[in-house]
Amino acid sequence: MTPNSPSTPSRRSFLASTAVAAAAVAGGFPLLAACGGPAQGGKEGATGGKALKAILPKYVPTNLSDPDIPGVNGSSAGYTKLPDPLATSVKGTPGKGGTFKAMTPIWGTVPKKDNAYYTAVNKALGATVRFDPQDGNTYQEKIGAVLAGSDIADIVTIPGWNMQGQIRNAVVSKFADLGPYLSGDKVEKYPNLANIPTGAWQMSVFGGKLRGLPMPSPVIGNAIFYRKDLLDGLGATLPTSADELLAFGREYTDARRKRWAFDDLWVCIQKMFGLLPDAPHYWQLDGDKLVHKIETAEYREALAFARKLHDARVVHPDAEANKDADAKIRFTGGGTLMYNDGTGSWHGLASEQAKANPEFDMRALDLFSADGGKPVLYQDPPAGVFSFINKDLPKERIEELLALVDYIAAPYGTKEFQLINFGVEGTHYTTKDGVPVRTDRGIQEAQPATYLFFASPPHVIAYPDFPEVVKEYAGWMARQAPHVRKPLFFGMQIVEPQRYASLYTPFDDLQKDIRRGRKKVSDIEEAVNTWKKSGGDELRKWYADILEKQGSGR
Amino acid sequence: MKDLELARGITRRQRFLRDRTLLLMTLPAVVLLLVFNYVPLLGNVVAFQEYDPYGAGITGSPFVGTYNFERLFLDNRFWEVLVNTLVIFFTQLVLFFPLPIALALLLNSVLNDRVRAWVQGIIYLPHFFSWVLVVTVFQQMLGGAGLIAQQLRERGIGGFDLMTDPGFFKFLLTAQSVWKDAGWGVIVFLAALAAVNSELYEAAAVDGAGRWRRMWHVTLPALRPVIALLLVLRVGSALNLDFEQILLQRDQVGPGAAEVLDTYIWWTGVRTGDFGYATAAGIFKGVFSVLMVLLANKVAHMLGEQGVYSKR
Amino acid sequence: MTAVLMDPQGVRETPLQRIDRTGRRPVWEEEPTRIGQGLKGVSLVAICLVVLGPLWVVLVTSLSDKKTITEAGGLVVWPGTITFEAYEALLSGGAVTRAALVSVGLTVVGTLFSMAVSVLCAYGLSRGNSFGHRPLLMLLMVTMFFGAGLIPTYLLVTGIGLQDSYWSMILPSAISVFNILVLRAFFMGTAPELIESARIDGAGEWRILLTIVMPLSRAVVAVISLFYAVGYWSQWFNAMLYIQDSDKYPLQMILRQLVLQHQVPPGAMGQAVSSGALSSLAVQMAVMILALIPVAVMSPFVQKHFRKGMLIGAVKG
Repeated sequence: MTPNSPSTPSRRSFLASTAVAAAAVAGGFPLLAACGGPAQGGKEGATGGKALKAILPKYVPTNLSDPDIPGVNGSSAGYTKLPDPLATSVKGTPGKGGTFKAMTPIWGTVPKKDNAYYTAVNKALGATVRFDPQDGNTYQEKIGAVLAGSDIADIVTIPGWNMQGQIRNAVVSKFADLGPYLSGDKVEKYPNLANIPTGAWQMSVFGGKLRGLPMPSPVIGNAIFYRKDLLDGLGATLPTSADELLAFGREYTDARRKRWAFDDLWVCIQKMFGLLPDAPHYWQLDGDKLVHKIETAEYREALAFARKLHDARVVHPDAEANKDADAKIRFTGGGTLMYNDGTGSWHGLASEQAKANPEFDMRALDLFSADGGKPVLYQDPPAGVFSFINKDLPKERIEELLALVDYIAAPYGTKEFQLINFGVEGTHYTTKDGVPVRTDRGIQEAQPATYLFFASPPHVIAYPDFPEVVKEYAGWMARQAPHVRKPLFFGMQIVEPQRYASLYTPFDDLQKDIRRGRKKVSDIEEAVNTWKKSGGDELRKWYADILEKQGSGR
Repeated sequence: MKDLELARGITRRQRFLRDRTLLLMTLPAVVLLLVFNYVPLLGNVVAFQEYDPYGAGITGSPFVGTYNFERLFLDNRFWEVLVNTLVIFFTQLVLFFPLPIALALLLNSVLNDRVRAWVQGIIYLPHFFSWVLVVTVFQQMLGGAGLIAQQLRERGIGGFDLMTDPGFFKFLLTAQSVWKDAGWGVIVFLAALAAVNSELYEAAAVDGAGRWRRMWHVTLPALRPVIALLLVLRVGSALNLDFEQILLQRDQVGPGAAEVLDTYIWWTGVRTGDFGYATAAGIFKGVFSVLMVLLANKVAHMLGEQGVYSKR
Repeated sequence: MTAVLMDPQGVRETPLQRIDRTGRRPVWEEEPTRIGQGLKGVSLVAICLVVLGPLWVVLVTSLSDKKTITEAGGLVVWPGTITFEAYEALLSGGAVTRAALVSVGLTVVGTLFSMAVSVLCAYGLSRGNSFGHRPLLMLLMVTMFFGAGLIPTYLLVTGIGLQDSYWSMILPSAISVFNILVLRAFFMGTAPELIESARIDGAGEWRILLTIVMPLSRAVVAVISLFYAVGYWSQWFNAMLYIQDSDKYPLQMILRQLVLQHQVPPGAMGQAVSSGALSSLAVQMAVMILALIPVAVMSPFVQKHFRKGMLIGAVKG
């Protein structure tokens, strides 16, 4: 993930979609696996039906300002202007002077401690939140070790893609049940938390209890971006089918000029072929039989196509060498014409390049079905990142912390949102013609990534400094939204038994091996047979049982 | 030994009193090892458990006997990984190990002190690069979009990509190790060469032995103990390939060629959370290493070398 | 079974060595052939080029401006516009400077600590027939091949309260058994007669160590110190596991983030790179050079000791 994109109102959306992108990069890891085993029966499975309804907070949407571009079919609303005056969503000071230690991942610049931004936000909160942001790229190892120890921070952020192995189990053991504070009407005490949609809360139920504070995600968080400026220069037209995409690659790859048509497009290639998402959404119903992603024809077709791109040598060699972290640099440097990323990076790159390369113009490709028809786009989980509260905190401290989180989750167009996302006017940003412009200090210090992880408002597209990006972005999402479908277990937090934890792992390696020319598409069959024999069929039954008892997520 | 001491009339107690200062001196190191190596070593017990690090912990997790070992030995992936590890190890042994010796001989034959010091100073510089840097430099030089591939393309020769070629991976690793550490490895051999008694050379020369015969009959025998020692140690750590170097490049060639025991333990343990299984693999590795050392040492003894330890 | 790393006798300097400091050829050696000389020269130059080539490219790239790097499309071989921007940005305060100081501190304190413990232990075990030295040696050697798992080690280190302490980057890997064995072998070979007679004269072990053994072992102490120092300087794994406070990160942590993930540490630099004024590649390469400088500067002073001090080790740094 490239860090240094100056943050803006919708830094949150950047993160949300980064989350999705990273989850995709993490690939086939069984995201939802936990230790079953004799010792901890009752932790695995899912929660649905009445039990779930009793736990979930009531949804009380707040509507403080109307969007300039309303959302359609579930797409995110766009804001091109900053409302004036700003609304107030929290009265008084939420905190009571407490001090809370927080552990969060970070992909950007690690801010200095005790900077003016932290000081200002903590003052507004009426409490002190002390951050020790950790490198997001090694967060998996870090969180695995930290949770095994006894010294756990008061509030801990765990992105969904880091919930591999036994992390879910740890969540159940180490973090507080927030049901007594938030379930049903109780959430009304925290209006900004009540504004978070039910789907996101449903994802926050771990081991039958509401434990997570969610960061809601957009319905579709990934796109193929292309360089409109470069494509116009080449006189290229946009592909509208898989064959055209391949032809585009052949036409515009010029290795001698160090220009390749594509970076690693796998995440969106899967969408083109209507491939199911990863665990636990990798099932679909064929009649009344559950069929796994790896058993579908789409899986084979998508891999065969990705292999064609490899064979045609139209993918940047560094991408083939798995150097994902450099994808943005390859794209902005003109090394690739198209690349795949979370939609949140749109604004990040646009504002980063605005000064250095005024010609720079990135757009998102309208996704198409491989045969050129309408695509089937499976919806992303409604929440991708969660924060948890240490279960050892006394009741009053948990209540104080929730009040702080409520402040932090204030929606766009409020004073609270402005402070969390931009910092202090005059110090971190200046307002020109109603548009907040970050100062150098703001870019360094005001990293909402830290606070916003605790819980954030529903996803919106709001960049008053780049209204053009808002229009393009919201327009693109509105065009994709009609094609969005919910996967079978949509929005459900399903904890697979430990004995199936490593079942899917080989497929992550296998798909890379096939796409990069190290194995054949036909090698899938043997792997699927092994998968069936070593527990795949049992897992199918296990999921069928969930489907019967808890229902689907649709 | 014992008889000798008994003859001298020194009892164990007297020896203890006599050596108590020496024992005291070893104390800090012994305490460090006990605390940081032996106490956690007890953690290996989780190989026999269905271990849950977050809830039950070591004391509460149920014992499952040799279940994890059974899974390990029945797992095809484990054996593939073991084969990979050994293949990479032998490639490195054959291609890397002789190089520092050859370099040392070459350098030793340079009579000009200053030239020798400069060359030596230059060739061990890369040792101070961390693996991240070495791998980055190699990617930028040899990758598909790297310096060399690009130069070739500009001359109309098709590009190549050594960094993502699984078949080439073992050689790539060796090349990186050579670049990073061959110069550093020279040090020990140069030191050994410096200790060779020059009278032996003179005598050989007087007897009419030429340059090559002297190398064969004087130099190499002088190096034998060092070579034997390093070989035994190397074989003992056969399964200890450079973790960081391989982890950094695992994904670019795929696990088929690049998964080795250490990375496998890392992935199954920390990533998948199957700590019992990963620990079982770790124990296998430890036992295997000790057996290799014993074996290699035995071979060294049979060849008349001392190896790492000797019976006295 | 006694563990000895090599024959201690071998460490002693032979009285007549072929170390002719003037570079003159011994009388008995034949004149070298021209071809032989030529081949030797060519191979030495080739070897140096293979080593220096990439280093040169790294250095030049770190000194190039953004335009030169963009034109080269990556690493720069022939210098274009030379600028020190990358270094200025890195050293203008902020995280890199801080991390460099942390690394220097860790390396100095860690090396001193490791050396003290190792020298004491090595000397304590160097008397051939001392009480308990065999079981102690076994205790040491077992750890060379049998490691504890990551999680048990983590639990222990955090359990004794070392989380976020600088000591968590020193203590868990403070001693290398291999280094102790090298030191021990050297001590055993160093003037055993002198030590024995001092013992008979009633000198205490501390005095023998400080006044006889240490002065004679400067070479090996220098070399082993360098080994430890390089280890401390290049470590990151402990920092990744145990350090949460980014103010305590060593340079290698920052360097990894910069090189692997293009994470830019705070300070003026972050903004210079993101606004596009500075090439992130140049910054990466500059950090590489910065990380190389201290050890590279230090090692020539140690190099002269290699010959004597490093008869055994050097497989590990």
